[in-house]
Amino acid sequence: MEQIKITINGKECIGNKGDSILKIATANGVYIPTLCHFEGVKDYGACGICLVEGEGLPKLMRACSTAAADGWVLSTETDRVKKARKIALELLMSDHDGDCVGPCSLNCPAGTDAQGYIKQIALGNDYQAVKIVKETNPLPASIGRVCPHPCEKNCRRRFVEQPMSIAYMKYFAADRDLHLTSPYDGVTDGTVFRGGMDGKCGISIPPTYKPEVKKATGKKVAVIGGGPGGLTAAFFLRRNGHEVTVYDAMPEMGGMLRYGIPEYRLPKRILHREIAEIANLGVKLVNNVRIGGEASPAAFTGAEVISLESLRKDYDAVVIAVGAWKSSSVGCPGEDAEGVLGGIDFLRDVALAVQPYDPEGTLSRPINIGKKVAIVGGGNTAMDACRTAVRLGAEDVYVIYRRTRNEMPADEEEIDDAIEEGVTFKFLTNPAEIISENGKVKRIKLQVMELGEPDASGRRSPVPVEGKFEILDVDTVIAAIGQKLDPTGFEELEFNRKGIITADEATFRTNLEGVFAIGDATNKGADIAIAAIGEGNKAALVVDSYLNGEIIPYKKPFVSERDEETVKKELAEREKAARVIMPKRTPEERRHDFKEVNLGFAEEDVRKEAARCLECGCHDYEDCRLIFTARREEICPARLKGQHHPGFVEQKLVSIERNQNKCILCNLCIRTCDENAKKGILGLVGRGFTSVIKPEFNDPSVIAGCKDCHLCADACPTGALKIIG
Amino acid sequence: MMKIVVGQGSCGIAAGAGKTYEAIKACMTEQEPFELGSTGCNGMCFLEPIVDIYDGHKLVKRLVNVSADKAEAVVSAVRAGDLSGLSEMVIKPEDEEFLTQQTRIALRNCGIIDPEDIASYKERDGYKALEKVLTSMTPEEVIEEIKVSGLAGRGGAGFPTWFKWNAARQSPGEEKYLICNADEGDPGAFMDRAVIESDPHNLIEGMMIAAYAIGASEAIVYVRAEYPLAIIHLNEAIRQAREAGYIGQNILGTGFSCEFRYMAGAGAFVCGEETALIESLEGKRGMPRLKPPFPAAAGYKMKPSNINNVETFANVAWIILNGGEKFAAMGTENSKGTKVFALTGKIRRGGLVEIPMGQTLRHVIFDIGGGIREDKKIKAVQLGGPSGGCIPEHLLDTVIDYKALSATGAIMGSGGMVVMDENTCMVGMAKFFLDFTSKESCGKCVHCRIGTRRMLEILNRIVEGNGKDGDIELLEELCYSIKDGALCGLGQTAPNPVLTTIRYFRDEYEAHIGEKRCPAAECRDLLMYYIDPDKCKGCTACARKCPADAISGTVKSAHSIDPEKCIKCGTCKSTCKFDAIYVK
Repeated sequence: MEQIKITINGKECIGNKGDSILKIATANGVYIPTLCHFEGVKDYGACGICLVEGEGLPKLMRACSTAAADGWVLSTETDRVKKARKIALELLMSDHDGDCVGPCSLNCPAGTDAQGYIKQIALGNDYQAVKIVKETNPLPASIGRVCPHPCEKNCRRRFVEQPMSIAYMKYFAADRDLHLTSPYDGVTDGTVFRGGMDGKCGISIPPTYKPEVKKATGKKVAVIGGGPGGLTAAFFLRRNGHEVTVYDAMPEMGGMLRYGIPEYRLPKRILHREIAEIANLGVKLVNNVRIGGEASPAAFTGAEVISLESLRKDYDAVVIAVGAWKSSSVGCPGEDAEGVLGGIDFLRDVALAVQPYDPEGTLSRPINIGKKVAIVGGGNTAMDACRTAVRLGAEDVYVIYRRTRNEMPADEEEIDDAIEEGVTFKFLTNPAEIISENGKVKRIKLQVMELGEPDASGRRSPVPVEGKFEILDVDTVIAAIGQKLDPTGFEELEFNRKGIITADEATFRTNLEGVFAIGDATNKGADIAIAAIGEGNKAALVVDSYLNGEIIPYKKPFVSERDEETVKKELAEREKAARVIMPKRTPEERRHDFKEVNLGFAEEDVRKEAARCLECGCHDYEDCRLIFTARREEICPARLKGQHHPGFVEQKLVSIERNQNKCILCNLCIRTCDENAKKGILGLVGRGFTSVIKPEFNDPSVIAGCKDCHLCADACPTGALKIIG
Repeated sequence: MMKIVVGQGSCGIAAGAGKTYEAIKACMTEQEPFELGSTGCNGMCFLEPIVDIYDGHKLVKRLVNVSADKAEAVVSAVRAGDLSGLSEMVIKPEDEEFLTQQTRIALRNCGIIDPEDIASYKERDGYKALEKVLTSMTPEEVIEEIKVSGLAGRGGAGFPTWFKWNAARQSPGEEKYLICNADEGDPGAFMDRAVIESDPHNLIEGMMIAAYAIGASEAIVYVRAEYPLAIIHLNEAIRQAREAGYIGQNILGTGFSCEFRYMAGAGAFVCGEETALIESLEGKRGMPRLKPPFPAAAGYKMKPSNINNVETFANVAWIILNGGEKFAAMGTENSKGTKVFALTGKIRRGGLVEIPMGQTLRHVIFDIGGGIREDKKIKAVQLGGPSGGCIPEHLLDTVIDYKALSATGAIMGSGGMVVMDENTCMVGMAKFFLDFTSKESCGKCVHCRIGTRRMLEILNRIVEGNGKDGDIELLEELCYSIKDGALCGLGQTAPNPVLTTIRYFRDEYEAHIGEKRCPAAECRDLLMYYIDPDKCKGCTACARKCPADAISGTVKSAHSIDPEKCIKCGTCKSTCKFDAIYVK
C-alpha cells in the first residue's frame, strides 16, 4: 500500500493512499468532530461537522468522505471551517427538541441531578440517591428540609397537576443514608454508624456513603466560614486531595443552617451528623476562631482572632465564605429602643439556647420577648422569626409586610405554617415609628400602604396611603428585612457599593492573589443556602484548577432545553397523580416546642412520589455526541431559534423507543439497519425539513423483521433512540 | 401547396392553440387547397396561439393571438388565396424583431418542424450528424470536435462538455451510460421543455452522438413528469428513431449499438443535481451522493456515466455538421456558442431567446424582450433561478459570459431570466426563492435542511414587519456557511438570491427592518391603504366592495379607510375608477 503524508492542524500524519482524511486523522491521534460518521457504516456526509480546509484548495471538504492526497496541509480550525461548523451545530441545536437535563436540575443553583436521584429513590436505592446528590451538595438531609426548592418551581409535573416533592424526598434518602430513620432505627447521639448488621431488624445496612478522597496533593486550603458554602467548598476540595481547614467564629459549624434556621425546621443533630461526614473525609474543622478585630455579637467574644494575612501565608489558597450576619435595621424613628431586635440576631440567640442534639428541642435558658411581638419583613427569615416567637410563648405575633401575600418572597408553605400557628399578617403596612416608654418598645405605628406601579423587579411597589395609620401594642419588634456582611477583618478586600465583597463571577477571585470568596458575603449578597452550596462546589473546581497551576473559570455548560409551551401542551392529557403531602405535627402540638414539624415521608409514599417523575432529562446525556460536540464551540443556537421539524415519540420496534424530536437525521439508524443488521426496517418519510424516520411504509410485516439487535440505538449520536426494558 | 401550421407547444396550448387547431379543422372540408399541420413552440410565447401560413417551405404569413373564433376567417382567407383580410392578425414588425435578432442553434427547428414526424426533422438535415459520426469519425475525433467548439454544460455549471465525455470515455469498464438531465426544475425556466416538445429528435441525435463518443450502451433521458407533452413527443420520437434504425442494435450497420429510453421523474428539484438524479434513476430516494466518486467513474449502477443537460445535447448535431470552429466563432473568450434564455417576469415580450454569448443583458431585455411592461422602470433581473442571483439595473451592460455573470454574484444558470420592475420587492423575491429551495431541500445535510429553513424564517419575519436589527448580518453569516457546508449544488447555491439582493438592495432590507416599510409597496403586512380626499368622488364603489367593511363615507363626499379593519386585500384600489386609493 502506498503511503501518503498529510498535515492536519499542524501535525504530520501518515496514512495509506485512498484513506479518508478522517481515517488518517484518527489513526494519528488528531481529533476531527463528526456526528454522522460511525465506524463500520458507509460514509454519508450529512452532518457537515467534519469539514476541513486545505491550503490552496478552494472548497471545504468533508473529512469523513474525502480521500486525502499526499502533501495536503489541512486544518479544522480556520475561520471558514469554524464558522461553517458553528452554524451547523447551531442549526442542529435549534432544531433539536429535547432536554439534556431536567428543568429541576437547571433551576437548582447547585445543579443537583434531581432526576438522577429521584430515579434511584423510585427504585429503592436510597444510598445510591445520596451518592448522586453528594456530587453537588454535601448536606442533603439538611438542605432537603430547609431548601425553598427552586427545582420544584421548575418541575414539569406542575403542568400535569403539581410539582414533585423533590426536596423532601432528598431528605428521606439522606436520613436513610445516615441511618436516622426506620427501618434502620439509627443513631441519634452524633456518633457515626458505619453500616453492618442492624441488631433490631436483622438486615444488612449499607454504610453511610463516604466519597472517595483523591491522593494527597500536598496543597493546603483555608476556608473561612463553616456555613453551607464554606463546608461545600471544603468537601469538594478535600475530595480532590487537598488539605482543608475550615475556620468558624461560632462554637459550632453550620453557619446560618446552625444559627439561622430554627430547630423545628432543621434539627441540629441532623446537621451535626452531616457535618461529621465532612469531617470524616479529613476536613479539619476549627471553631471559635474569627478573622480581624473586635467581635460584634456577644457569642463571638470568646473567639480567638487571627488575621487574613496569616492564613494567606500558611495556606496555598483561602476561600472566604463568611456569610452575611448583620441584620439590617428597620429604618424608622425609634428603632434604637430596647426590644427592637434584628431577625437573624434573634434567631441566633434562640439557636444558642436550644439544647444541642436534644430530639425534643428544649431551651437551656429562657428568652424573654414578651407577649406581643411584631416581625417586620416578608421573607423566610421573617417566617422563621414569627414562628420562633410563637414557640417562645408570644400570644400576639404580627408580621408587618408592606405588600400583599402575593408579593411575599417567603415560601408558600412557610406562610401557611405560620398562619396555622396563629401568626397575624398585617399586609400593606409599613413601620412609620416605634414608640417607646422609658426606652423600651411599647407600640408600633404603621403606615397603611397600597400597591402602585410595578417596579424593576416586576413587583408592584407599595405606596403610602396618605394620612392612614394603624397602631399596635408591642413588646418586641424584630426586623427581618435583610442582612449583610460584617466586613471586620477583611479590610484588604475590595467591596462593592453595597459594602459586599467583590468576587469574579466565573472564578470567585477577589483582589487578593489566592483569595477567593463565595456566598452571601459576595456580589449580590444574601441568598438561599443552596445558592451558597452551588458557589461552594463551583469554587472548589476553580480553586482546584488554581492549585494545579492554571485557573479555569467556571462556565455553565450549554444544554438543550425544550420550549415550555410545547411541553405544556404535550402534558395536558397526561394521567394525573397527586403530589404526596409531607405529614406534619398539628399546629396545636408544634407551636409549643422546637421539635421538628415535619414527620417525614413514609417509605411507601416516597416511592410513589418518586415514580411521578416525568424524566424530562435525556437518558443519553452522558454519552450524547451532539452535546459533546456542541460544547466544544462557542455556540448560540438561540439566535437561530425557529420551527422544529415534525416530532413524535413511538415504540414500534421491539424494544426501541424512537424520539423524533431529538433526531438529527444523520440516518445512522437507517444505515446501520441496512448495512450491518441487513434488515432495512427504517426509512425516510417526507422531504427536506419535514423529513422523519419511520419504519418503511409503516408496514407491520417490515417492523416484525426487527431482530432487536440495538445496533441502531448504539449508532445514534443523540438520545433519539432509547432501549426499553 | 399552402399549409396552415398551428404552434402547439405547452405555451400555445395554454393560450388556446388546441382549440384553434380544432376550430380550423372543423372549418375545413374534405377537399381543401391547403393542409393543416402542427409544430412546437417558436419561442414567441407572448403571442400564442400562433398560426403560420406556409407556401411550400416558405413562411408567407405569421398570424398571432389566433383564438378559436378567428379560425373561420383564417381558413376562408387561405382557401381564397387572399391573405390580405388577415392583416389584423399578422405579427407586428417590432414583434418580429424578437426572432430576427436571435441566432438559433439549439432551437433551430423549434416552431418550424412537426415534432411528431421524423421526416420533418430529416428534411432539415436531421440525423445527418449521427450518420457522419458513425461512418466517418472515431469517438476521439467526436470528442475533439466538441473540444474545438468550446461547448460547455448548459445546465448551469458551464463545465467543458468534452472533458466530461472524455473522462467517461477513459473510465475503465465495458458498461457505460449516457444520461440526459431533463429535470428542468427552476421556476421560470422552460428551455429544455421547448426542445423536447418541439424538436425531440435533435435531443436524441445529440445523445446518440455522445453515447458513441463515450462508448455508452444505453442512453436515458431523465425527464420531469410535469412535462406530459414533452414525454409524449419524446416517446413517439424514440419509437420513430428506433424504427428508422438510429437507435438499438448495430445502428446504420456500423456495429455501434445503444439502447435508448426515458424515465419520468417524480417532481423533486434536487433530482436535477446529477448524483441525486442517478439515485432516483436507480429507484432510490432522490438525495445527492458524496463526490467523489464522480459519475464519470461510478455513476448509474456505479458504472461510468456521463450526464448532460438537454440544451447541451441540442447543440451537438449542429456542431458536428457545421464544425466546432464555427460554433466557437460565436461568443466570448471563455463562453462559446449560443445560450437559450427563458425570458419571463415583467417583460413585454416573454419567451425563448437564443443568442450568441457575449451580448449584453440589456440587449436581451430591451432590444429582444421589448423592455418592461407598462413602461415601468426595470429594477433587476434574476438569472439562474433559485440557484442564481439578481443583477441590478446598473449592471445590465454585463455580457452573457460565464465569468462575467459570476462576477456579479449571479450565475449563467440553465437560462431562466426573470425580469423585475420597480414594483418588485427584492426581499420578497429572495423569500420566494428561499421558500422554493427550502421546500426542495432533500433533507440530507444539515446546512441545507435546517439552514435554508432558518433563512426563510428570517426573511418571513422581515417581510411581515418583525425583522430585527442584526437580521441582515445573520442572514449573511448563514449564507456563507451554507455555501461552504452544504453537500450538493442545491444547498451550495441556495443562498445566492439572498446574498445578491442584500448586496444590491440592502436599503430595501433596511427599510423593512428599521422603518417597517416596503419600498416597492408589495409586502402586504407593511402596507397601508389610503384614500386621497382630493381625488375621491364619493361614488361608494370601494365601500360596497370592501370585504372587511373597512371603508366609510357618505355619497359624494370623500371616503376613508379604517386601518384597524383593513385586511389589505387591495380590492378598493382595483375598484376605484378615480385612482383615489394609494398604498404606502
